[in-house]
Amino acid sequence: MSFLAFFFIVVSLLSFVVAQLVLKKAMEFSAKSGLHNSRFISLISMGIALMTISFFLTLGLLQRFDLSYLYPFQGLSVIFITLMAATVLKEKLNLRLTIGALLITAGILLVSLS
Amino acid sequence: MTKQPMRDRPSGFGNPWLQLTLSVVCVFVSEFLLKRGATDVAEPDSAFSWTGINGLASPLVWWAILLIIASFISWLYVLRYIPITIAYPLSRVVDVLVPLGCWIFLGEFISTLRWCGIALVVIGLALVAKPVAQMEERL
Repeated sequence: MSFLAFFFIVVSLLSFVVAQLVLKKAMEFSAKSGLHNSRFISLISMGIALMTISFFLTLGLLQRFDLSYLYPFQGLSVIFITLMAATVLKEKLNLRLTIGALLITAGILLVSLS
Repeated sequence: MTKQPMRDRPSGFGNPWLQLTLSVVCVFVSEFLLKRGATDVAEPDSAFSWTGINGLASPLVWWAILLIIASFISWLYVLRYIPITIAYPLSRVVDVLVPLGCWIFLGEFISTLRWCGIALVVIGLALVAKPVAQMEERL
């Protein structure tokens, strides 16, 4: 895997993780304040913009690598999103959820490395 | 186990767990359409194709985009009701389904190590899902 491929995989992953957290924030906000307010609209737009960047980078990568090889890199997003939701969004995280997320990440990594 | 209320969620088609399932199915199908579409129009020698935008030349990619939008709407709905620390790990069941689908439909090879990885994901999913299932039973 070239440096360029690694770079695009990392950028695609990061934009995806941040997008999910922003979208969760937007939907939590909408549950309290409804859909017609500028804060919800700006959060959801930011989330969609980040998802779009991640989508096109993935499409570029798919032209070069097997799906079964490339796709599982997104597995890293499980542990990133779980930990960041606990720290940034203050969601409750217990031992069981943490071990579950770690096993899923480990499993997906194993799939991508094999 | 979570601060967010899960009791006052809608049932029927509005059930967030059903929406989570729909979202996963749409993502699963879209991945195969994307792979087929991207391969059909691949131009590995062009630097521009790193952006993936040339993939839009394939109709399969457009079908995939429709499914992704559908899964996205379901996913936003899920986020409204289920904590992301539970919903997101569960949504990764697709990471087991995709390699299995590659094996079944695309004839891609799955090594022993890869099977072990798939097993780990399944155990992890069970760990995340079990407290949810127990909680649902109590309601």
